[in-house]
Amino acid sequence: MNIQKTVNGSTLVVELEGRLDTTTSPKLEEELRNSINGITSLVIDFEKLEYISSAGLRVLLAMQKIMNKQGEMLLKNVSETVMEVLEVTGFIDILTIE
Amino acid sequence: MLYIQSGLVALCPAIASALFYWCNKKTKFAQLSEKSKQGIYGLVFGLLAVLSTELGVSVDGALISARDAAPLCAGLIFGAPAGIVAGLIGGVERYFAALWGVGIYTKLGASLATILAGFLGAALRKWLFDNKFPAWYYGMAAGFVLEVVNMLLVFSGNMKDIHQAFTLVENFALPVIVLNVGSVTLTMLVISFLAGEFSRARRKKCKLQLAQTFSRWLLLCVMLAFVMSSIFIYVLQTRLAVDDAEKMLSLYIEDVRDDINDASDENLLKLTREIRNELERSGNYDETTLLALLDEKDVSEINIIDENGIIVASTTPAYLGFDMTSGVQSQEFMALLNGEIELVQRYQTVSHNAGVSMKYAGAVLSSGGFVQVGYNSQRFQSDIYQQVVGLTRNRHVGENGFMLIVNETFHLVSDPDGHEGMHLNVTGIQLQLDGASNGSAGNLEAEGQLLMKTVYGENCYVMYGVTEGYYIIGVLPQSEVVFGRNISLYITVFIEILVFAILFVLIYFLVKKLVVENIQKINRSLEEITGGNLNVSVDVRTNEEFISLSDDINSTVHALKGYIAEAAARIDKELEFAKTIQFSTLPCVFPPYPDRTDFDIYATMDTAKEVGGDFYDFYLLDENRLAFLMADVSGKGISAAMFMMKAKTLIKSHADKESDVAKILTQSNADLCENNEAEMFVTCWMGILDFKTHIVHFANAGHNPPLVRHQDGSYEYFRTRPGFVLAGMENVKYRSGELTLMPGDEIFLYTDGVTEATDAHNQLYGDDRLVAVLNRLAGATAKEICLGVKEDVDAFVGEAPQFDDMTMLCLRLTPKHMITVDPNEDTMQTVVSFVEETLAQAEVPVKTAMKMNIAVDEIYSNIQRYSGATKAIVECAVEENRIMLVFTDNGSPYNPLEKEDPDTTLSAEEREIGGLGIFMVKKTMDEVTYEYSSGFNRLTLKKIWQAEA
Repeated sequence: MNIQKTVNGSTLVVELEGRLDTTTSPKLEEELRNSINGITSLVIDFEKLEYISSAGLRVLLAMQKIMNKQGEMLLKNVSETVMEVLEVTGFIDILTIE
Repeated sequence: MLYIQSGLVALCPAIASALFYWCNKKTKFAQLSEKSKQGIYGLVFGLLAVLSTELGVSVDGALISARDAAPLCAGLIFGAPAGIVAGLIGGVERYFAALWGVGIYTKLGASLATILAGFLGAALRKWLFDNKFPAWYYGMAAGFVLEVVNMLLVFSGNMKDIHQAFTLVENFALPVIVLNVGSVTLTMLVISFLAGEFSRARRKKCKLQLAQTFSRWLLLCVMLAFVMSSIFIYVLQTRLAVDDAEKMLSLYIEDVRDDINDASDENLLKLTREIRNELERSGNYDETTLLALLDEKDVSEINIIDENGIIVASTTPAYLGFDMTSGVQSQEFMALLNGEIELVQRYQTVSHNAGVSMKYAGAVLSSGGFVQVGYNSQRFQSDIYQQVVGLTRNRHVGENGFMLIVNETFHLVSDPDGHEGMHLNVTGIQLQLDGASNGSAGNLEAEGQLLMKTVYGENCYVMYGVTEGYYIIGVLPQSEVVFGRNISLYITVFIEILVFAILFVLIYFLVKKLVVENIQKINRSLEEITGGNLNVSVDVRTNEEFISLSDDINSTVHALKGYIAEAAARIDKELEFAKTIQFSTLPCVFPPYPDRTDFDIYATMDTAKEVGGDFYDFYLLDENRLAFLMADVSGKGISAAMFMMKAKTLIKSHADKESDVAKILTQSNADLCENNEAEMFVTCWMGILDFKTHIVHFANAGHNPPLVRHQDGSYEYFRTRPGFVLAGMENVKYRSGELTLMPGDEIFLYTDGVTEATDAHNQLYGDDRLVAVLNRLAGATAKEICLGVKEDVDAFVGEAPQFDDMTMLCLRLTPKHMITVDPNEDTMQTVVSFVEETLAQAEVPVKTAMKMNIAVDEIYSNIQRYSGATKAIVECAVEENRIMLVFTDNGSPYNPLEKEDPDTTLSAEEREIGGLGIFMVKKTMDEVTYEYSSGFNRLTLKKIWQAEA
């Protein structure tokens, strides 16, 4: 799992590459929590994400809750596979997907 | 002394035989080669023969010794070569012994007989006694016959002087025969005693063999015929000899008588003629003239008879007027009146006076009538005395016989020994001639009768004749008379003994050859037939009787064979039915569970007989448990098959009710022990495989251990301590054991008919060959494994017959992709990679694979986090259109499917993250099932998939 963070003022763009599962989720959560202060716009690019498990979903949910308070969160380039998961879990309703 | 000495020598063969017998039993002598042994026997017995020769008694050029006994004994007791060697040594030495004066006369016959002794012993032993030494009586007979041959050889060797030869044989036959026969008999008795023949014969009381019975009767008949013919010959020959003697004596007596008669007749006729001439010259026929002539001529009486036959003048006045026709004696003289000129009469009783004997002669007178001159014995005997004396002196009757002439007072007149004048008593002859001198009848020993007298101390045949007052006595020694008889009797007896001996041997031999051997041949065939080999045929074709017997036996056996085949065919048919039934009780449709892809099972059974005692069985107790077993009933055939059915049914019924394999066997054993009168038992190995846990619970009742192969490994025996056999003993408790069988593992069960199959060289197939062929077949299907093993065993056995049933069962778990991990360690990545690789290998599309990955992530992270398990198994099987993921763990029981689905409609703030994972799994998979058993959670995920176009 590669995490590419780009900070542009109060906008944080995170590009994920690989799998977001039980093993990798704690790392993403830690990275995001370290960088989220003062960020009003969080963009997560799923272009290179292979799949996501419930552990990944838990990180997304936690970030969404934070960003609801200090700005907004946007998911970009969601692949079909990941979208299926989001649909099944109803996350499509609580996440902003571009 | 000499006889004692040669008697002692005769004991030598017995002593030597005993010594050799002992040496052969107790000393190293036994280890010598047979050839050198025979040489030693031959040498020793040959030397014994030489010893007999040198210490024998020499009589008249013959030798009395027991020489022949040694070679004969050697041949009979120790063997042909020994006998021949001994015979040659003894015989040759005997021939040359004549050089220093031993028995020259019989040297050729005796030495030949000794050589013959060796050959006889050898031949008898070889052809008549089956190379064993004979009973003592046969030895005795052989010795006797041999000595008879010896005598005949002496005879025929000295034909030119048959008298001497005969005398010799007559004198030495008895001692020689006694010595030799005694020696042989003693030797045979000693050997028989040492060999324990007597005690054995007494103990066994063995029946006589046919040839023996035959030979005994034959011996009896032969002896009888022999004695009868001998007596007949004796009587006949005696009669002939006596007749000959009688004829000869009477002929000789006649000759002498004629000589005397001629002399006395001539003398009286001469006197008569002189008297007639005197009378005619003087012409005076008166009494005075007659008396003067009587004195002058010294005769007893002179009578003148006229033409009418009346005495007209006589020197004895009492005769005057006597009619010559009135007496038998005087009547004869009437011939002179009928043309005869002279006549002389025998000395005889006169007609006129019965008390007077007189010899008369007559001559015709020219004047008519005739003159008769009487003459008494004293007168004419003194006249012819000179002629009679010496008449018999040069006469011989036969060889040693002679003639005597005595006068009426029994004084010798003529005697070849020169006893003339002496009384007859000097010769020893005493004739019982009461009244012979006075001519009366009633002589005790009549004239011309053959009498037996002792003459000069020798028994002689004697005959006498009377003429002119003389007794002519012929004497012939009896020995001379019967010499011919004796010689022919001896020869006849000897030749008869020889002929009978040959006949006896020949018949014995023929009976043995023609009858006994054929009977034995038939007996051997019959024994084989009795032993069960009905394909033997009896084939003795020497004569009509045996051909008929052989054919009868053969046709009987043939008929029997037909009946047996018929019965066998019927039984075969029954057994064929039984076999069908037996096999129908075993699972024999393969594959038995076509919808089960996780295991593969195959079994075969080959029975040595139509029905067998082996059996196998397998059945699914439920979806996840397979029971399988291999069993072998003691014994074979119908009884084993029936017991097998009972055992199989009992185990099955207990397996249906009971899940513990040990209890199944324990209960089956208890049931089988009931009423097990046949004392049969079963060995059995039974296992129950749990597909979820991959554990086989097994119990072993005395069966051979199975062979197990773990995936990628090789076959190895899985040995555990077996329990006691089933049905062997009541109240046996069986223990169960565990064996892990993972997918890809194989187990092979069999009965000992496989490893104990034997080839033509009686070699066992054995464990090693079985393991080798199994390893060669590893990885093949269960069917291929079973058939492959069977093929290998068949190839090993070849044409050799099989005696045991051969049964095998192979269970093979289909190989699966699975991994066993410890959830307490960081093994997530291992599990994920395992599943990913498995799917990639099966070319599952990435999208589907990703879903599977998510599922693994969700489920396994749950196990890691919450279950507390120490062991987890993840299986991943990719089937044609279905992926199966199975998670098995030994954590606390937890059914994730029971958890309520999360509400997916809530806002982010209200959302709970728990339960989402399993919810996702439920959503993405086509089927998710959970179960808990034997301490294991088992979650199975199934996902339908399709290959990408």
